Amino acid sequence: MNAKTALPEIGVDAETQRRVEQFLYREARLLDNERWDDWLALMAEDIHYWMPTMENRRRADKNGTYAVDRGALYNDNLLDLTRRVTRFKQPTAWAEDPATRHAHVVAGIEVYQGEAPGEFIVHSTFVNYRSRVEKDNDLLVGRREDVLRAEGDSFRLARRKIIITQSVLMAKNLNTFL
Amino acid sequence: MCNTQGDTPIRLKRRPIAQSIENLDQLMNLEKGRMSRDLFWDRDIYEQELERIFARCWLFVGHESQIPKAGDYVSTYLGEDNVLIVRQKDGSVKGFLNTCPHRGNKVCFADLGNARQFVCNYHGWAFGIDGALKGMHASETYEAAGMDKSEHGLHPVAHVDSYRGLIFATLDPEAPSLAEYLGDMRYYLDAVFNMDEGGTEFIGGCVKSVIQCNWKYASENFVGDILHAGWTHDSGAKAMVGGPVAEVHKTPEQSYHVNFNGHGWEFNQDIVGNCATLGEKDLLKYLYVLQPKVAERLGELRSKMIGAISSCTLFPNTSFLPGQNTFRTWHPRGPGQIELHTWTFVNKSAPQEIKDKWRKGTMMTFSPSGVFEMDDGENWEYSTRSNAGFVTRQQDLYLGLGHDTRVEDTDLPGNVFQGQINEANQRAFYQRWLDLMKADSWKTVPQRDVPKMKEGV
Repeated sequence: MNAKTALPEIGVDAETQRRVEQFLYREARLLDNERWDDWLALMAEDIHYWMPTMENRRRADKNGTYAVDRGALYNDNLLDLTRRVTRFKQPTAWAEDPATRHAHVVAGIEVYQGEAPGEFIVHSTFVNYRSRVEKDNDLLVGRREDVLRAEGDSFRLARRKIIITQSVLMAKNLNTFL
Repeated sequence: MCNTQGDTPIRLKRRPIAQSIENLDQLMNLEKGRMSRDLFWDRDIYEQELERIFARCWLFVGHESQIPKAGDYVSTYLGEDNVLIVRQKDGSVKGFLNTCPHRGNKVCFADLGNARQFVCNYHGWAFGIDGALKGMHASETYEAAGMDKSEHGLHPVAHVDSYRGLIFATLDPEAPSLAEYLGDMRYYLDAVFNMDEGGTEFIGGCVKSVIQCNWKYASENFVGDILHAGWTHDSGAKAMVGGPVAEVHKTPEQSYHVNFNGHGWEFNQDIVGNCATLGEKDLLKYLYVLQPKVAERLGELRSKMIGAISSCTLFPNTSFLPGQNTFRTWHPRGPGQIELHTWTFVNKSAPQEIKDKWRKGTMMTFSPSGVFEMDDGENWEYSTRSNAGFVTRQQDLYLGLGHDTRVEDTDLPGNVFQGQINEANQRAFYQRWLDLMKADSWKTVPQRDVPKMKEGV
């Protein structure tokens, strides 16, 4: 896999670890409850929210499994995220009515000091399960690499990279954030 | 069924065609705009589609730009047949079934890449990029058995050809030429894939997803159904441009359905209508600057199609949207499932930042996370799945819009119909489907449409 951070993994104190975990758990709850505007408020102005699609390439292929200029399900700035939220909120977003039921499970949270003061590199794994109408059930499992930026007594999400296991998305859509 | 003893092995065998399903004619009454739901549910019909449509038609397999160098390959599908499309040392393109002639294992597990050879993981059979069997693990054992390597190369597809950078392949040696197959649709294809002298390229790789729907729901949507946009995609339009989808049904004099050999294109002449939904002003500017140059090369009408509100399907299962620049193939996976492969196409000569904006634009609109596509999948899934009902499936569907809209007095190629809110293309799509399903070979497929273009043009 490419685009790995080269930073040394310098740990943080237990209180910072606890606060970051709390931030991510709360974020997951906001998404489960479709509190889209509250979720958007967690984003930094310069957010890069990125979920590349996976290509099956030989290990010897220097191009790697994914890259920022290749396929993506999210490669978003704040305007892009806001547009997606705008759709979710339309009464004519037919595929959102009746509502989808979401469960965002976050685990394996590791926190390290980031590049700039007040920034943290946060690794986590996630399980996302969505259920819609009678029997539309979609499972996504993956790993995230975030950059959180301290702001006041909380954080903003400045960067997120989402790597899922599937190369062919086994679902008709991706009507959630991860 | 094996080759008869003594015959030279045939490199791409085909069984004699199975008997056609009875009473196919009763599946539709296009004159009345009625159609049976069996088309979208019946397993026997699906199996015959694999034989009579997907193993017979010219199917899209890749863009020239994906495989520029010798040994470059993509792995794709002709129906459910996995094929490797490989650039040769002489610059030509060959296609092979992705299966080892020894025990049948896949010889390539990557989606794309560059290869000097394809080696089967099972017994180490190694094939050149030309498909020839070059050697294998413990080759002396095969020599002792008297095996002739020249008879055991990869199975080649019947024909590969391209038009304006789009590469197609067919598994039927008797298929007409690609030019004949596309026919007059090439005139319109030029509006997008030849709008710029430098041609187009695919960028950003391939995004793949699965939709639990019949493949024809997707194909027929892109062949002519702009009608759904104003309703289905209201939320997406409000997200991207802050207002509803343009009301194209109010200006039919500006718009058309055109079709040929089951391919169809619905379009109006607003130049940038599709492109506008990407919410990127620079892309509109790019198209507006280009439009007069296109008018000089291709004439006024086609210059107004370059990014207009429009959609196209090339029969049977490849579609694209001008302006939004998504190109896609709906691979069938049984009567109730498709695997959707999508790419972004751009003019090769466009500035990098313009290409990047189109790459992002297709993601934001027509990808599984896109604000438009999000609502399409659900429609097609439940249009398919409701037919599980034994009685439900016996009820007809309606596709009767636009009767009596045929434009007879026109120089435009193909069958031309006034007004893009129409179901003329859908009817032509299903007529072609029926013709192919009834015909035992290409020789008996009726040539309903009279070409205005010369074959070689």
